[in-house]
Amino acid sequence: NDRSSRVFQQREEKQLEASVDTLISLVAHVKNALQSFIAKLENEYERLTWPSVLDNFALLSGQLNTINRLLKNEKTPSFRSQVIIPLVLSQERDDDLAKLTEKRVPVFSHEIVPDYLRTKPDPEVEEQEKQLSAEAARIGPDAAQKQIQTLNKMCSNLLEKLNNPREDRDAESAASRQNKASFNPSDTNALVAAVAFGKGLSKCRPPGPVAPGIPGQGPMMSGGPTLQQVTIGGAAGQQAGMGGPVAPQQLGQPGKIPSSIKTNIKSASGSIHPYNR
Amino acid sequence: MEAPPVTVMPVTGGTINMMEYLLQGSVLDLALESLLHRLRGLCDNMEPETFTDHELVYLLKGQQGNPFILRARRALSHPNAPWHLRYLGQPEVGDKNRYALVRNCVDVAASHSLPEFLNEMGFRMDHEFVTSGHIFRKGAMKVVVCNVSRVQLPGNTENTERMSNSHLVELSVLAPAGQDTVSEDMRSFAEQLKPLIHLEKIDPSKQRH
Repeated sequence: NDRSSRVFQQREEKQLEASVDTLISLVAHVKNALQSFIAKLENEYERLTWPSVLDNFALLSGQLNTINRLLKNEKTPSFRSQVIIPLVLSQERDDDLAKLTEKRVPVFSHEIVPDYLRTKPDPEVEEQEKQLSAEAARIGPDAAQKQIQTLNKMCSNLLEKLNNPREDRDAESAASRQNKASFNPSDTNALVAAVAFGKGLSKCRPPGPVAPGIPGQGPMMSGGPTLQQVTIGGAAGQQAGMGGPVAPQQLGQPGKIPSSIKTNIKSASGSIHPYNR
Repeated sequence: MEAPPVTVMPVTGGTINMMEYLLQGSVLDLALESLLHRLRGLCDNMEPETFTDHELVYLLKGQQGNPFILRARRALSHPNAPWHLRYLGQPEVGDKNRYALVRNCVDVAASHSLPEFLNEMGFRMDHEFVTSGHIFRKGAMKVVVCNVSRVQLPGNTENTERMSNSHLVELSVLAPAGQDTVSEDMRSFAEQLKPLIHLEKIDPSKQRH
């Protein structure tokens, strides 16, 4: 009995070894196919034709199918029930390991082992996945079908829009050109005139008696023209004032100004202007 | 070249001979967002600045009948900031080779007693308005997009009324006299804002009547 069980065990071990060997060789095939495909994509992308790209995909897909078949085969022992335990972790460089893994894994350390020997997702990820599948199961098949239809409809609408963008956009820009002017030249002129010389803005009257019913004849207005009434082309006149014989008189005046202003404020009727002489 | 009367020239030179190159236009409120969006894309990358300013325009009437004009401005949103006193010369339209209006420009910061000071000097306020809007910069260029409001009661900036449904747009550069090349930069910038808005050199004397 003891012996027969040992024989059974040995046979199982042999089977496992054989299937691992087959798996390794199949994976090696996939690896080679991938490598040559990547090399082609990198070096021959100018000459590569779409049919040959499809051929490469077909080859890969066939090889992956073979692996799947092998794993599902009844004779293949369940790899899932095999346990791999890392016995020694080391920070030292392991040349054998580097050679075996084509220098991809030079050190068998605590840092990389969890990633390489992982057979399940992280607990949090597993938890999320569980939630998602629970949620998916909650929706009835009818509701799911409806959602699929809605999504398909939206996708096809979107595709349609993307495929005829020009019509829509042209129509839109034409509409915006026709219907909406973005500026109004007469507003421009009104604003410029307001900022430049107060056209359209209410004139200020200093506090004091204002003759009722006679607009624009406040005390300050009578002394001279308002800014709006003065021609702005008066540069020449001012220049003449600057250089002409009047200038020294102006310069000599500051001392006088305050008193004359007082006079002016008192005489609200405005017949006297500080600079009228 | 026109210069401000000697009596009001600031003692410190430096900025005295600066010219302001100016292009103006307007944008309807409907298209304001599009314009601001485009300006944010075109201008220097900075936080968009907004402002609300109260401008008082003062006259000093001379015997020749041509008043001397000074503009006093204060930021309503920053009551503690200094006032801004500005002299603007007569705008020159120039010929086709210069793309912007040019005017002499003197800027001075002033204390809060500026209105009283101007009054004592014999200046009288002619009109006032409130502008509120956005400032953008691109290099030396300044773009101001603002609405202009009437002040209903003299001095009361709480009670204002919009002039129109448009915002005024001004593109300006301060440069020493004679540097007309800046107007070419301004023109190419203005081109990029078409057809949304047209920035032009507008002769204000033609808008008078």
